[in-house]
Amino acid sequence: MAAIGLPQLEEAQDLTALVDDLRVLFEDPDFKLASEIKRTTGKPIVGNFPVYSPVELFHAAGAHPVGLVGAGNQIEIAHADSRFQSFVCSVIKSTLELGLTDRLRDFDGMVFHSICDPARNLASVFKRNFPDQWVEYIHFPQNLVSESSVDYLESEYRRILDRLSELTGKQVTNDDVNQSITLYNRARSLMRDLYAFRRDNPHVLTTKDLYTVVRAGHILTVEEHIRLLEHVQRLVQTKQGHERDHIRVILVGSFCEQPSLDLINAMEEAGLDILDDDFMLGRRWFTEDVRADGDGVRSLAEAYRDRSVISSVKHDSRRHKGEELVAQVRSAKADAVIVSVPKFCEPGLFDYAIYRRALLEANIPHLFVEYEEKMWLFDKVQTEVETFVESLLLD
Amino acid sequence: MAENAEKRNYRGRLHDLQKDLMNDYFDQMTRSANGEGDPSVYLLISGNPVELLRAFDLLPIYPEINALQTAVKKKALPFIQKAEEIGYSTDNCAYVKADIGLYFSGNQAPMAKVPPPSLLLTNYVGCNVYLHWWEHLSELTGAPIFDIDIPFLRTPDGEPRPEDIQYVMRQLGDLIPILERISGKRYDPDRLREVVELSRETGEYWAQIKLLTQLRPSPFDAYFDAVTMMGPLYALRGTKEGRDYFRDAYLELQQKVAQHEGPLPEEKYRLVIEGPPPWPYLRTFREMFERWGAVFVASSYSTVGGLWEFGFRHDPANPLESVAMHMLKWNLTNRNFLQRYAQLKSYVDEWGADGLVIHSVKSCRLFSAGQGDMREYFARQLGVPTLLVESDLEDQRYFSPAQMRTRIDAFMESLEHHKLVSHG
Amino acid sequence: MLYRAGVDVGSTQTKAVIVDETGTMVAKVLVDTGSNVVKAAERAFVQAAEQAGLQREQVDYVVGTGYGRFNVTFGNDQITEISCHAKGIAHVNPNVRTVIDIGGQDAKAIKIDETGDVKDFVMNDKCAAGTGRFLGNSAEVLNLSLDEIGERSLQAKVPVRLSTVCTVFVETDILSHLALGRSVENILGGVHSAVAARVVALARRVGVEREVALTGGVSRNVGMVHALEKHLEVPIYVSPDAHFMGALGAALFANERAIAVAG
Ligand code: SF4
Ligand code: SF4
Repeated sequence: MAAIGLPQLEEAQDLTALVDDLRVLFEDPDFKLASEIKRTTGKPIVGNFPVYSPVELFHAAGAHPVGLVGAGNQIEIAHADSRFQSFVCSVIKSTLELGLTDRLRDFDGMVFHSICDPARNLASVFKRNFPDQWVEYIHFPQNLVSESSVDYLESEYRRILDRLSELTGKQVTNDDVNQSITLYNRARSLMRDLYAFRRDNPHVLTTKDLYTVVRAGHILTVEEHIRLLEHVQRLVQTKQGHERDHIRVILVGSFCEQPSLDLINAMEEAGLDILDDDFMLGRRWFTEDVRADGDGVRSLAEAYRDRSVISSVKHDSRRHKGEELVAQVRSAKADAVIVSVPKFCEPGLFDYAIYRRALLEANIPHLFVEYEEKMWLFDKVQTEVETFVESLLLD
Repeated sequence: MAENAEKRNYRGRLHDLQKDLMNDYFDQMTRSANGEGDPSVYLLISGNPVELLRAFDLLPIYPEINALQTAVKKKALPFIQKAEEIGYSTDNCAYVKADIGLYFSGNQAPMAKVPPPSLLLTNYVGCNVYLHWWEHLSELTGAPIFDIDIPFLRTPDGEPRPEDIQYVMRQLGDLIPILERISGKRYDPDRLREVVELSRETGEYWAQIKLLTQLRPSPFDAYFDAVTMMGPLYALRGTKEGRDYFRDAYLELQQKVAQHEGPLPEEKYRLVIEGPPPWPYLRTFREMFERWGAVFVASSYSTVGGLWEFGFRHDPANPLESVAMHMLKWNLTNRNFLQRYAQLKSYVDEWGADGLVIHSVKSCRLFSAGQGDMREYFARQLGVPTLLVESDLEDQRYFSPAQMRTRIDAFMESLEHHKLVSHG
Repeated sequence: MLYRAGVDVGSTQTKAVIVDETGTMVAKVLVDTGSNVVKAAERAFVQAAEQAGLQREQVDYVVGTGYGRFNVTFGNDQITEISCHAKGIAHVNPNVRTVIDIGGQDAKAIKIDETGDVKDFVMNDKCAAGTGRFLGNSAEVLNLSLDEIGERSLQAKVPVRLSTVCTVFVETDILSHLALGRSVENILGGVHSAVAARVVALARRVGVEREVALTGGVSRNVGMVHALEKHLEVPIYVSPDAHFMGALGAALFANERAIAVAG
């Protein structure tokens, strides 16, 4: 049987065409595919706001996690800006707008996290505006030095799991959790492989294509996503690409609110080979597999502390973000860094100052760009990138 | 009419004493900066666990106080601009920028020389910017960080979970040896008990003071005069001087109550205010309300450091637990946004207010993100006259007096009319 | 007969209205504010008195309003334009419950009752999106006068979608659209629609109740009226004297207060 909403993979031999089909799935502000999944599987849909969410628990509890990353440039914000001021980032408002325009009617729950102050307040605003909605908030530990943080997070996860069970009516066993971990490990490892492939062959697997394939995982079931990733992995082996006169860069700062796909494409076309990025970080959160043969909930908590990526919304006093970025540039043999931060994103903007100091000191050129998901025309960003590329190529 | 309200605001002994005490405190800071006084530990205002430092004779430094004092003197802008020159965004909290700018200007603040930190203690009580701020300071100064991670109040009952409390207690256990090392002093539970007892007494006076504004007329302005008392509440809590200050302030205010005196010649309107003040324009902002005879009888901002008026007291029998509970539960910032709505609502109801003013500051998204929804709740759902105005707490560029005044005047005009109609 | 005046000092234009004791408008004058705000107020008032054929002394109470209300040095009182617009509009059309006022620097939505009392109001935040300035900047980029853009926006077939409502960036945005070959009309359609969207969002904060009136200088812009009607999906009432509503309201307040003072 054809997979729900997913293009017939056997017939999709052209990555570009496949990407165009996939794009429609996640750019749909009405979440038709999610509704369809809910209808056919009977699983409740739980939306999760960026950045990271323990989707394994949702899955183990019998819910379908859908990544809710605002509405890109697909809708106008007409109601949510009466709740959140002009100096709050767009993804907060567009996510609320989705709710206020009744586009989340098929969602059975929403989970927010302690990434920043606006996201935290958004959880409360959701509760007030949708009193019947199931809304949860996860406080992630910020003192990762202390052993107690793992115990704490484990207890927090158990609380969330209980709440999810209330929603789905399913009693969750440790095996359920481990099975879910195994599935998501598989998806993450495939994504890591594709990222590695792109780093070595950015002209074969473009960032636009890679992004789309990863992003599709925010709406597809994890099983379907794995099928898709495996298929794409086969496709790229035989795909031809043309070497381009591009500069090689690492892109950071886009971990939460996402630029539109066209903006990503525009930046690439303006002369960037993006070797690594932090788009859609939440579903690629772990640098290695999470243990799948122990106490599952505990394993997830431990992995958060010890095997997860650093980002502007995670604080770990054992690590230094600036130094890690410099090391990342060196190991990928990149020429430069693009720091692209959503407008009004305070965590990203703070980290820019840290990156800037580290990059200046290491003599690595960088370009700072600000974007908004709802941007429609990208001339300004494109010109900035082009100028930056020229300045490096002419050096 | 508004214009007839005489411009004379309350300035009593509690204001003068505060000045002396804070000057002493700033002198201690300068001495510490010159290598003469106690080692300094940086910490943050929200639910501050200052007792832990006092018990080790460590000098608490609040960069937030330094930033706001600088702003009150209208001296913050050059510091902010300095930070913006080195990559900090116009959209970052200006407290942080003023502080980073200060660091790059040799730490010479207008009121004191600020000592470098021996430890950066992040009491992460609500504000996410705190974590960033200390991360930056650690990078710049090389000082170690200790994060006390305080789980946010997020469950339906609004209470911390037992696991949350355990987590915080274990972190405090980790912190004590670090404080021993920095201070060169052994942890002495009796000393901590003494400090906590002083905090308990201070809290008792402060709670009584805050309840006085339920009376008519309110003896002081719970925003503009309360912020005066907040300096000693944070910088000197857990000391005898601090406790005595609050005892004296309480006695002074009680006298005002006995004489039916308020901060203005006539209390015409009682208002509640949400959000931090516009420090660079504090005087101007105050006058905009005074000319209408409006007094703030309650403010959420004055509970950032603690919610004593709703029952919190430190407990010398369980000193560490009470410090933990102070951070977890008994302050404004670790409570969720809907709990804040409830707090403001109780101010409106129990303090008998005519309306709510929301001062939305761009810098502090902890406070402001979502205040449009708050306005919606109060104005539309509860029918409480509500005004939302925007500026900033630190960056004077965001305050436009003419715009601000028009909004306040229009609001007061409608309140005035409302009063006329409802009183026949 | 006794007369009272209202002087509304705006950032670009100053308006003066004189009413008689019964509240009937007997004069209305509009002058450019220019750089000397005090003089502009004076000039508008003097001209209004002339228009009504009155001696200055016959006007016994003056209320100043608008952003320059404290510059009406001869005024007896100052009242904000929010209260005055509400008062004025209720006088000419008591059925109005929601007033939208788009000025040069700000936009506001006011909820009123049948007597013109302000129940609630909101003004634009720091950001000037959704104000007359956005229209002004757009007109400037397109090399058109403010008076013609409304009319021409009505001819838009496919209004463009602006990627910003920011007054600062609208210029680049418009230039991009021109470069893409979009017609001036379609661009103007987009500009008006963007402002309308912002203003309607503002109006929703106080709750949109019929009838809805548009006041202020922008009310003369037919394109704006049309765009607002489209976004709100209700007809908009525009008084022929819409841009005098602030001054009229001020004059009516002057009337009330003069009577109160006389006791
Ligand atoms: S984009 Fe930045 S500010 Fe906005 S929700 Fe995400 S982390 Fe928070
Ligand atoms: S965001 Fe608010 S609470 Fe946080 S540091 Fe800035 S002013 Fe203080």
